[in-house]
Amino acid sequence: MPSYQAPLTDLRFLLHDVFDADTLAELPGYAEATPDLIDQILEEAGKFVETVLAPLNQPGDQHGCTLANGTVTTPPGFADAWRAYVEAGWHGLAAEPAYGGQGLPHVLQFVLEEMVSSANLSFGTYPGLTIGATNAILQHGTEALKQRYLPKLVEGRWSGTMCLTEPQCGTDLGLTRARVEPVPDGDPGADGDDLLDADGPRYRLTGTKIFITAGDHDLTENIVHLVLARLPDAPAGIRGISLFLVPKRLPHADGSAGAPNGVTTGSIEHKMGIAGSSTCVLNFDGSIAWLVGTPHKGMRAMFTMMNAARLAVGVQGLGIAEIATQNAVAYARERLQGRRLKGGPATPDKPADPLLVHPDVRRMLMTMKAWTEGARALIIWIGVALDREAKHPDPAVRREAGEFVALMTPVAKAFITDQGVEVANLAIQVWGGHGYIRENGIEQFARDARITQIYEGANGIQALDLVGRKLGQDTGRLLRRFFHPAAAELAAAAADPALADLAKPLAKMFGRLQQVTLLIATRGLADPNEAAAVAHDYLRLFGLVALGVAWLKMAAAAGRRTPPDGFAAAKRALAQFYMDKLLPQGYGHAAAIAAGAKGVMAFDDEMF
Amino acid sequence: MEIEHAAVLGAGTMGSGIAAHLANAGLPVVLLDIVPGAAKAAVERMRKADPPPLMSPEAAKRITAGDLPTDLPRVGDADWLVEAVIERLDAKQALYAKLETVRKPGSVVSSNTSTIPLAHLIDGRSAAFAADFLITHFFNPPRFMRLLEVVAGPSTRADALAAVSDFADRRLGKGVVRCKDTPGFIANRIGTFWIQSAINAALDLGLTVEEADAIAGRPMGIPKTGVFGLLDLVGLDVMPHVTASMLATLPADDPYCVQSRDWPLLTRLIADGYTGRKGKGGFYRLAKRDDGSKVKEALNLTTGSYSPAERPRMEAVEAGKAGLRALAEHPDKGGRFARRVLVSTLGYAAALVPEICDDIAGVDQAMRLGYNWRDGPFEMIDRVGADWLAEQICADGGTVPPVLERAAGRRFYEVADGALMALAPDGARAPVVRPAGVLLLSDVKRRGPPVKRNGSASLWDIGDGVLCFEFTSKMNALDLEILTLFRETIELIGAPDNAWRALVVYNEGDNFSVGANLGLALFAANVAAWDQIETLVAEGQTVFQALRRAPFPVVGAPSGMALGGGCEILLHCDAIQAHAESYIGLVEAGVGVVPAWGGCRSLLARHAATAGTPGGIPFGPMPPVAKAFETISLAKVGKSAAEARALGFLRAGDGITMNRDRLLADAKARALEMVAGYRPPEPVTLTLPGPSGRTALGLFVESFRLQGKTMPHDLVVADALAEVLTGGATDPTETVDEDALLALERQAFMRLIRTGATLDRVEHMLNTGKPLRN
Repeated sequence: MPSYQAPLTDLRFLLHDVFDADTLAELPGYAEATPDLIDQILEEAGKFVETVLAPLNQPGDQHGCTLANGTVTTPPGFADAWRAYVEAGWHGLAAEPAYGGQGLPHVLQFVLEEMVSSANLSFGTYPGLTIGATNAILQHGTEALKQRYLPKLVEGRWSGTMCLTEPQCGTDLGLTRARVEPVPDGDPGADGDDLLDADGPRYRLTGTKIFITAGDHDLTENIVHLVLARLPDAPAGIRGISLFLVPKRLPHADGSAGAPNGVTTGSIEHKMGIAGSSTCVLNFDGSIAWLVGTPHKGMRAMFTMMNAARLAVGVQGLGIAEIATQNAVAYARERLQGRRLKGGPATPDKPADPLLVHPDVRRMLMTMKAWTEGARALIIWIGVALDREAKHPDPAVRREAGEFVALMTPVAKAFITDQGVEVANLAIQVWGGHGYIRENGIEQFARDARITQIYEGANGIQALDLVGRKLGQDTGRLLRRFFHPAAAELAAAAADPALADLAKPLAKMFGRLQQVTLLIATRGLADPNEAAAVAHDYLRLFGLVALGVAWLKMAAAAGRRTPPDGFAAAKRALAQFYMDKLLPQGYGHAAAIAAGAKGVMAFDDEMF
Repeated sequence: MEIEHAAVLGAGTMGSGIAAHLANAGLPVVLLDIVPGAAKAAVERMRKADPPPLMSPEAAKRITAGDLPTDLPRVGDADWLVEAVIERLDAKQALYAKLETVRKPGSVVSSNTSTIPLAHLIDGRSAAFAADFLITHFFNPPRFMRLLEVVAGPSTRADALAAVSDFADRRLGKGVVRCKDTPGFIANRIGTFWIQSAINAALDLGLTVEEADAIAGRPMGIPKTGVFGLLDLVGLDVMPHVTASMLATLPADDPYCVQSRDWPLLTRLIADGYTGRKGKGGFYRLAKRDDGSKVKEALNLTTGSYSPAERPRMEAVEAGKAGLRALAEHPDKGGRFARRVLVSTLGYAAALVPEICDDIAGVDQAMRLGYNWRDGPFEMIDRVGADWLAEQICADGGTVPPVLERAAGRRFYEVADGALMALAPDGARAPVVRPAGVLLLSDVKRRGPPVKRNGSASLWDIGDGVLCFEFTSKMNALDLEILTLFRETIELIGAPDNAWRALVVYNEGDNFSVGANLGLALFAANVAAWDQIETLVAEGQTVFQALRRAPFPVVGAPSGMALGGGCEILLHCDAIQAHAESYIGLVEAGVGVVPAWGGCRSLLARHAATAGTPGGIPFGPMPPVAKAFETISLAKVGKSAAEARALGFLRAGDGITMNRDRLLADAKARALEMVAGYRPPEPVTLTLPGPSGRTALGLFVESFRLQGKTMPHDLVVADALAEVLTGGATDPTETVDEDALLALERQAFMRLIRTGATLDRVEHMLNTGKPLRN
């Protein structure tokens, strides 16, 4: 069975030494988040996921979820683990104190989610979706809805979902067919519970939603669905979608879950991976629903969930990369095959040397580590910005931090999940034939990771978001939030003899990124295909440079470490590996961008 | 005959505006009104009005205001008397009777009537009066609207007609269109028909106000006010007046009368004071929200109530980008609306030739200049196709006008051997003749390809060894490609043994150039591409200096806005020939930077050159600096060529052309004048005050700050500018050369562009078109 140990040293380094998370305690509302508390949380979270969640991962994959008599049963142990998770306070870690949460910084939520994703990605989908639903109600719901639902969701007694997809509409939500009708006078709703009226006008929602993660399960007594549907007078297309809250069971005035609300599970999907996560077809049959947010502005409310969810998916990619790397390194240390090419046997007392003496195996392991640790740095960087956006007293700082988060969200989601899949594949490669055998649990990482490139906006959509929305917004203002600090970082590093070897190649690639950004801005104005056709290459190049800057920051911080230790030396060496061996991929992407859309568009549809 | 004095009778909106424009042309004008004191009040009002009817304070002084009853004899000096009193025949006739006794013999009298036939106006007048009489119909506002419709009667003297037409063309800058004595002449006959047609179509097809304007605006080549926005602008109450007078004079079977209908909503709006922008609102209004912010509301044509204006979404608008016909053929209601309005309006216009005008080019010119249509009706017919239009008219059960029938299978306009030919009403082809002294780049372009071109600029041969440099980039924004073509042009003309002798920088866009491509610059700044920005700054400095030092004369010929970099090009030309409607200024401070393509250096040198001269600023290192500092730090823009001269952007020898169409010819003539014995200007060294001057300017800015007139970033920009203009670290015992000043400009620019406050200003300008106060 794969092993897992939470990467506490690296996390402490990133939080305390690289990204100044210690200063978060100075922000109003975060006073409790002292360095000591942060360390304590890291340790406790590590222990919890190592001992409670990790052991359930492989069995969960084997058992999967089952649907019988209209209800879904999660794999053995999941329900108990959920209770333990909730009781230990992990679920409400970053939730609003007003509704029972602990109100700790978001960056700690990211840390927790990374660990959970490493240990058990399937399990992590249940709390993940609940947090998304909680945020949407928090930001767009009426006071009555907040009072009724948020405490239950934060407490983990109820859970949440996001219901977007329908059979005919995935990425293009303008095709949504689910619809609501106002509940006519005299219709008592379902339960006849008058108190429900206090929550605002009621509708009856009808439609079918598919691919609903955590759509039904046995972890909580009630499930709160957030559903996209059309009001009767809705304009056609994407501008006619509204967001509704539909509980699986209608709540009683006392807060307990009451009668079923016409939401049934049609079937569950049999998937390539994350078998322990229940993916449902949900049928809504005149279910009582409440409007969340403004009529026809459902997409806006939905994006509240989506943006947070996209970052969370990036964290999932990181989590998989971490556990895959750990197990590849462990195997490469133990597995004895062949002798090293130079300098005689490394372990003369054994029949062969460990795998990790071989250059190509080292290449794979270094690649895995460089992607993983770079991705973690990027996530912590964004997480700290997210907290500044939420709590900083200066509105200008809040705005700028928010712009940085908005810019980096598609990069983090797509780039890190792509790398997560690559790292999971490399783990199989390091394990060789044994990695391909199910019992060893290594191939599960690749299968589980694969969904992260698809859900919450496929990675192609992330690239379009980056070039189509983020790049051009206010003539590139969002870009400023990355490029200006990066340019300053590079200038400082270039002047530092200890970092110049890193700064030089990175500055070159940064220059390429600047060039192609202006190129896309100019060409894309005249022809949207020019921007869209190179969006993938642009996001890749952006991600490579962003991770490069993250590595530069880590190398600089490692250089400040006193006394210099093995950890610092490893960071510096991996940073060099990144600049020399991985970053150059950017040249290929830059060249592909310069070639423009012609190569993609000058191919008739019939020629496929 | 020469027109050297003028008089205007009637000081209403039109009369006072006409008087102002005659004064703009440099004439002394007597302005009289029947209401005592009204003319004087009108002049006072015009001094402060915006947009200003007057081009300069001097122009205002040329107007002598008086009262009709007492001051009538003062018109005795006038060579041209323009009557612009109330649109009532008896009032006009009574005035003419009085004029017979006081006017100078041989002076020309014209009426600004828009509706009354000439024959009625001269009824009862002497033969001499009738011979001197014609109709000159101006459009509102007279300074800015370029159309002048001129109607001569059977007894009007040919030389009187010629004198007024020529004067209006050269001195007032008007496009003079000869009309026949028919109701509404050309522009209002077709224009108000178009308005009624659009209203009818909107009501019948159920379009909202916003939807109708979204189609009958830009997609049809019409200003974005569309039809309802235009009614708000001119006043809702004007329409029924015009319509009533047309209905009274046109035969009942004229399509104008046939399509006319009562519209109770309009009557109610006018009665309730909703007369448009001058009243409580019209089809649109600005309503205040509870929080004090303003919201644009639109009238619901069905209910008559207002609701927040919505941005219409019609596929036809997108489809219309492929052409006028694609717009009219789109099946949605926007397309059906466009089709109906186009078919009826274009069909009507075609049926009116030769009844209202002998040539189609005149009709087109009238609609372009009088209603600001991008294309006249016959140009539009060429876009949709004469045959298509004829088919549509038949499909609607109408009769195809003979002019359209004769055009079958042909275009109204064609280019033959590089010349623009138009179809005469009899079906023959005749060249479109430009008046003598008119040179249009658009005509030059028909004759063949440019001498050189790239993605942002072209170089044209305009004859006699003169080349014309044209910007072709979007909004004529200046970019690296323009600088590159300037380099190549300088090499080309400067090379030994070539055919070229001089260069004119000119284009026929709405604006000469509003400066560097800010969007690109902001993008570059946002991605921290500082090297690229500095390269662009340095390249601009180098190229503009090369232009100035080139071994041939260069004349800048702006029209419209010449701002920022657009102004800096002009400052490096040997001479400027400016259209009177040129708005010139160094506005860089508005976006948080300093002029850095030699603008600071040039303006400083210009002021230094005039320091100590009679009427100029005092001699010494500080006065030129202070004057340039004031102009640049406050981003002052001349609201006319005359004002640009006062600000120092135009020098004593620079010329002003009133007629847009004559600008290129005048600029070319100016360039040719300079060819013989041309020597490029010598480099200028200046004595500047240095840090003490910078301190003095700082105190000046401080006084503004204490009055609360500055924002925090103004101080930063002003200090950077002060450092440049005072010569940096120099002192009055040294001299500063051009390269040193350019280096100071560049450094200040690069420092400012790296500040967030400057980038916020640039972004705000791009998003809103207005400067950010931060």
